[in-house]
Amino acid sequence: MIGNDIVDLRFAREQSNWRRSGWLQKLFSDAEQHQILSSQNPHLQLWTFWSMKEAAYKVHQRRFSLLPKYNPMDFQCAIEGEVYVNNYAYKIISEITEQYVYSIARVVSDMQYSSEVCEIGTQVRDQLKEMIVNTLGIKTLISFSKDKNGIPVVYLDKKRTNIAISLTHHGRYSAFAVGL
Amino acid sequence: MTEKELLSKLKTIITPYVQNQEGLIKLTEDTDFIKDLEINSANLVDVILDVEDEFDIEIDNDAMEKMLTVKASIEVIADKLAAK
Repeated sequence: MIGNDIVDLRFAREQSNWRRSGWLQKLFSDAEQHQILSSQNPHLQLWTFWSMKEAAYKVHQRRFSLLPKYNPMDFQCAIEGEVYVNNYAYKIISEITEQYVYSIARVVSDMQYSSEVCEIGTQVRDQLKEMIVNTLGIKTLISFSKDKNGIPVVYLDKKRTNIAISLTHHGRYSAFAVGL
Repeated sequence: MTEKELLSKLKTIITPYVQNQEGLIKLTEDTDFIKDLEINSANLVDVILDVEDEFDIEIDNDAMEKMLTVKASIEVIADKLAAK
């Protein structure tokens, strides 16, 4: 089980005015708001938390086959790289560059995965197929679809599999992760 | 306010955040904000804040989590207006 999420930091700056009244309060708990506002780089801290929540949302949704919901407040970030939802905890790894924040959420921290960040214009599905071929040693026809909840599903020779993938796109970047 | 008026106001609110303009032309009750209009999930909160301002209502977390489609949003707004 895996979920990932990328935030293009420049695009986020253009797209969202997070200082707008009520904005932070709708998405982040008091504790998270405090951590964001007291951070040396509030913009970066905010988008790091956001990508953590989104990545955790995706793995949680896949794990329990949940209907789509807009409930970022249910996902609580801990600074050490965990997100809590109800009684579940997800391990998060975030890669932070000057350009983007990329978070991967897993159920357990020893779960193996492969991931890749691509710039806009890349044929993401082809790259993803290549990764599945290379990491899982698969030589059959690979195709993708989404289930009724919008969760991506991998088909091998038109047969549905349990291979966990997650795709994300924002601004100039796309990324994907495959559970191994 | 009729449902048609609600829909028209909602359309005006979401327009600045839509990244797939074709989806906006084909807007129906079943239109999904993220899937069909490619509204960024971090901008959905702006839609919600704009809805609060436009209709002078408060959208709590329970209502907010449903607001992913045109239909669900209109239901939430109509409910909140009726409770005013």
